[in-house]
Amino acid sequence: MIALQVVVGGLLLGAVYALFSSGLTLIWGMMNVVNFAHGDFVMLGMYIAYLAVVALHAGPLVFTLLAALTLSILGAVVYYLLIRQVMRGPMLAQILSTFGLALLIRYTVFWFFSATFVTLPGSALGGSIKLGGILIGIPQLVAGILAMGLTIGMHLLLTRTTLGSQILAVSEDRQAAMLMGIRPDRMQALAWGLASASAGVAGALIATFYYLTPTVGESLVLIAFVVVCFGGFGSVPGAMLAGLIIGLIQAASAYYIGPVYKDVVVFALFVAILWVRPQGLLGTV
Amino acid sequence: MRRGWLALGVVLLAAPLAFQDPFYERMIALVLLWAVLASAWNIVGGYAGQVAIGHAVFFGVGAYLPLLVYTHWQGVPLLGIPVGIAISVGIAVLIGVPTFRLHGHYLSMATIAVAELIRLLVTNWEFVGAARGLGGPASGRTIWDLSYRSSIPYYYIFLALFALVLGFTSWMEQSRMGYYLRAIKAGQRAARSLGVSAPRYKLYAMIASAAFTSLAGSLYAVMLGFVDPDSVFGIMVSVQMVIMAALGGAGTLIGPLVGAALLIPLQTFANSLFGGQGNGLTFILYGGIIILLSRFEPGGILEIWNHYLARKARKGRTE
Amino acid sequence: MNSTILLKAHKVSKAFQGFLAVAGADLEISPGEIVGIIGPNGAGKSTFFNCLSGELVPTRGSVIFQDMDVTRATPEEHARLGMGRTYQVPATFEDMTILDNVMVGAFLRHAHQANAREEAMRVLEFTGLVAQADHRAKSLGTPGRKRLEIARALATGPRLLLLDEALSGLTPLEIQQAIALVREIHRTGVTLVIVEHIMEVVLTLAQRVIVFNHGEIIATGRPEEIANDPKVIGAYLGTGRRSRRSAAMSSLDGHSA
Repeated sequence: MIALQVVVGGLLLGAVYALFSSGLTLIWGMMNVVNFAHGDFVMLGMYIAYLAVVALHAGPLVFTLLAALTLSILGAVVYYLLIRQVMRGPMLAQILSTFGLALLIRYTVFWFFSATFVTLPGSALGGSIKLGGILIGIPQLVAGILAMGLTIGMHLLLTRTTLGSQILAVSEDRQAAMLMGIRPDRMQALAWGLASASAGVAGALIATFYYLTPTVGESLVLIAFVVVCFGGFGSVPGAMLAGLIIGLIQAASAYYIGPVYKDVVVFALFVAILWVRPQGLLGTV
Repeated sequence: MRRGWLALGVVLLAAPLAFQDPFYERMIALVLLWAVLASAWNIVGGYAGQVAIGHAVFFGVGAYLPLLVYTHWQGVPLLGIPVGIAISVGIAVLIGVPTFRLHGHYLSMATIAVAELIRLLVTNWEFVGAARGLGGPASGRTIWDLSYRSSIPYYYIFLALFALVLGFTSWMEQSRMGYYLRAIKAGQRAARSLGVSAPRYKLYAMIASAAFTSLAGSLYAVMLGFVDPDSVFGIMVSVQMVIMAALGGAGTLIGPLVGAALLIPLQTFANSLFGGQGNGLTFILYGGIIILLSRFEPGGILEIWNHYLARKARKGRTE
Repeated sequence: MNSTILLKAHKVSKAFQGFLAVAGADLEISPGEIVGIIGPNGAGKSTFFNCLSGELVPTRGSVIFQDMDVTRATPEEHARLGMGRTYQVPATFEDMTILDNVMVGAFLRHAHQANAREEAMRVLEFTGLVAQADHRAKSLGTPGRKRLEIARALATGPRLLLLDEALSGLTPLEIQQAIALVREIHRTGVTLVIVEHIMEVVLTLAQRVIVFNHGEIIATGRPEEIANDPKVIGAYLGTGRRSRRSAAMSSLDGHSA
């Protein structure tokens, strides 16, 4: 029974990982840019949720939408002011630009909140329920289900709508897309907005069951990398599947080896993936 | 050119004489230490153009080994140096072999991940002191413990190390390896069509970079007499190495020294003014500098200086 | 085993996610030949070239160079065995000097800087670039860059040189100069395979011509025979159905080039 609990907990967490990782893989597949600040975008989503509750007594729906909106605007702004230019430059500049952004965001939040942990005060989502003999926290359950739904929604958005197929067209063949009248610049900005929004929502969801700390972005972005590598770069379905698996592995490591090791195992797995199958489950390298 | 190097050498040799205060003596020793570290990163990051952001792992391994030798076997800390280098090179190969076949982002991610991985492991491993860290000899037992009260001998040790890294980099620049690395950075595809094995040469650069970083870490631990996981394996170390080299001028010989000479005093004074919070402020500043550098002048200060000289020369010609 | 075939491609095919860019191409090059490969845009020439030079691994078929199977070999292994190439869009090392560009090539056979430099200077003399040795590569115009690429590849001491549209985008005078250079290179004993999409250039230079269309080889023979072959003429004029495929191919060629 404990094992089942670990499995369910891991899958629910993995769904949240899948949500913010799919944003990262979309950008990477589309523009060959890796957003090193992606984990800090998630962190911003967490703190926006916190501030919305503390200052506005906002409910979960409100603060989640707020996080999505704020982060999508931030993503588009970052694209227009920074990414668009560095994309044309040397690799050093490309990688350092989002890495510098990560530091800036992370430690600005740190300046205001310092290292003390906070949690979301008195949630309507507290408590836990017993399902089929196992104990699940309600926030985790809601977060996991919502995250899964949103990730599937993102996939459908990309593959079934006109806008989505335009974004994918730029991703697959920029020249051909331009010939069809699609503007790559605008599509890329949209993709950044979408990816950042998914990070923000993931953060808001995490805030309902986890404690907040300004430096969490550092390990979250690494988890996102591992998920994206494992799932295959550019593949949202891959990120979905990989996210669930990584969540599972983390939960199992935390329970069977020790809480400290949940990250250690994932990072070690990352190095192993690089050696054995860098293209991941569903990717082509 | 020759005269410039000579002048620099004289300045560096004589610098400690200008300061009587232990505070400043310590600061210039640190400037040189970081010049060494930034120069070490420069080999793989500046010349080969491979953005590794986890060099703290090599620094930390190098720092821990001497104190491990002392703590567990009461040995001479210096004996830990070759072991530290060997382990660091091993890690460099572990990371480099799979990632140098792939696109650049993989290396960046892998280096961050491995540095974090090692930091977490060390923090939880009793044998290496866990979160408390390790200490060194309280006072020198023999001359080989390199235990000095003043910072000045350490200044000269780091100066010697800096000369060594600089000498290696200068030799590399003119050798086949240097040309190949520049070619890889300028156009990997074309370079490979000329017979340049890109994965192999990138790995060589990474190994050299890791070895020098480890050596510097060992000497740092000997100077400080103490290490703990966060101070030597933390992301701050990796970021500082990168930003000093990039700010001064990645891929140039003295760019790293310029970057270190600017940022170490800045950081020292920020710490004195703001105390504990100074650390957070430094990161914010570094983040901003890195963004501005990558957006406007990836070549760093030396590149800005070159532009200025070129503009002056053009003006001189038209007058 | 000592055969007189320098390069042999056997039933080489290359598919990109279901799209067949090259379908079962056979080729044999003997030492000392100048062979031209022509075909309309999108016919698969560059993709085939990339399969020969090691930048792409054929989906099917094999490539044998100097009796060694190089089908899966890396580009650098190709270079070491004696195959050099240039690029349709010049890929010179922009911020390095012209001399340094060529030295990178020379270092393949000369490990020491002094020897590499000497060899590079010799090649620069041969290709007429020695006056600009200390200029940055980016100061050159397109014809200069194409010439530099040739010099750089020559410095590796190749037995076989693959030139990918080395003469496109040049003025008539520049074309004459380039043809003269190619002939000089041939005289030193280098075998040449030249991809062009301008018929006239190939007819002047090549001893033998291979024609690609729709990813297949549709004709081979002497230049005069090819020029009058109705299949070849038809391929260049083409029908509506062909142009969609060639648009897709051009973008693929753009990717692989």
